[in-house]
Amino acid sequence: MTDQKAPPEHRVVLPVDPARRTEIDKQRVPMSARPYRLLALVKQDAVVRVQKEPDDTVMTWPHLLSIEFLAAVFMSVFLLFMGLFVNAPLEELANPNVTPEVAKAPWYFLGLQELLAYFHPTVAGALVPLFVLVGAAMIPFVDRENIRANRPSDRKTAVVLFSLFCGLGLVLTFLGIFFRGPGYAFTLPWVSGFHFSL
Amino acid sequence: MSFLERVDQTIRRSPVFRSIFRNPYPNDERSRAYAVMNNVFLHLHPVRVRQHAVKFAYTFCLGGLSFFLFLVLTVTGVYLMFFYAPSATQAYSDILQIQSQVPFGLLTRNIHRWAAHLMVFFVFLHMMRVFYHGAYKPPREFNWVVGVVLLFLTLFLSFTGYLLPWDQIAYWAITIGSNMAGYAPLFNTPSKTLLLAGLEVSGNTLLRFYVLHIMVFPLVAAVFLAVHFWRIRKDGGISGPL
Ligand code: HEM
Repeated sequence: MTDQKAPPEHRVVLPVDPARRTEIDKQRVPMSARPYRLLALVKQDAVVRVQKEPDDTVMTWPHLLSIEFLAAVFMSVFLLFMGLFVNAPLEELANPNVTPEVAKAPWYFLGLQELLAYFHPTVAGALVPLFVLVGAAMIPFVDRENIRANRPSDRKTAVVLFSLFCGLGLVLTFLGIFFRGPGYAFTLPWVSGFHFSL
Repeated sequence: MSFLERVDQTIRRSPVFRSIFRNPYPNDERSRAYAVMNNVFLHLHPVRVRQHAVKFAYTFCLGGLSFFLFLVLTVTGVYLMFFYAPSATQAYSDILQIQSQVPFGLLTRNIHRWAAHLMVFFVFLHMMRVFYHGAYKPPREFNWVVGVVLLFLTLFLSFTGYLLPWDQIAYWAITIGSNMAGYAPLFNTPSKTLLLAGLEVSGNTLLRFYVLHIMVFPLVAAVFLAVHFWRIRKDGGISGPL
């Protein structure tokens, strides 16, 4: 039992903003908001609680674990149905001598393959991915302005830049998936159909 | 007492059951705290969490679901491994066998495939949600970097797995994907031979990708996941509220 003692909390816990109170909050009346207590009627367990500071936390069991459990159940059911009704693609045996009409990288690399159509291979194939990975890892050390701001509205530059970047990636990937056909030439999906497999 | 209740009671009072679960079903705050603390899987969590963090609309369960998909992929992947040999002459026919002969083989392969795509997708989404919440800011900078490593590992877990069916899609997707590595200035040939175990995709590549896919990347990912989860708690729990 001795090892179960929670470490002292140094964090200052502010009461929850009234506008953001949920059902869970409403059950947890802060001590300061309660003008009186019926000491004679409190149960043993409640007396223990009196010594605790009011805070904005809830028990992991059941509040967090039930949500995690539900999410896992939904995901399992979804995967089961996908697995039952949609077959993973499989084509003929690999043949190094026969280049298929449509040869595309997996979808998460299709943005790069799309760039390959516009830029020198060194740029599209090596410099851009390097820049993306290293750049992503450096974000926390570059974005030092407004160091405490976490609301999107308080850090518009970061949010706009990041959104532009994601949008660009999305557009390139979409082009690669839907608008490229045999020989990686430009096609319109509603004219020549889809040339893509997952 | 109905029959079922009696069975339930008998099980719960049996020495075997009580040797596994030391405490009764957690109903009050104290026993609920013990339930989390005393369970090796649950104690990844703190006993209490800040209440905005358990709201679905804060995390959208994206990190948790990425991890769940990782677990699903481990289980289905181990099953597939029983029936698959990573050689250019056998791999493809093994896949055909898995689909037609192995019990639940087709289902397992399908789930493995879709879960893999979904995991890549969810890790991207998780990264975006973390960014929009500014959750990479101090003290969480390092956990973001760990996350980027996890993204890289997720992509390459998927990429190495993509070759294993040894069909035309696999062969040419990997050829195109790894041609990009060959465009690196100065060390294009070394980086390609390192990746492909040769100058083009071959049986050696298959073996190399297989080992990376079933052993190296999952182990490395498990280590980084452990660090990732550990750091979430050491950084003071989930960020926010906004
Ligand atoms: C295999 C991939 C990954 C898994 C399984 C994973 C898992 C998780 C989980 C379960 C959480 C708890 C909160 C939540 O669910 O959102 C979390 C938080 C976090 N993750 Fe990940 N993650 C992965 C990849 C990433 C990536 C790619 C990044 C960013 C580049 C990242 C950065 C973070 C950060 C900074 C937090 C703390 C967020 C906060 O405090 O609000 N993770 N991760």
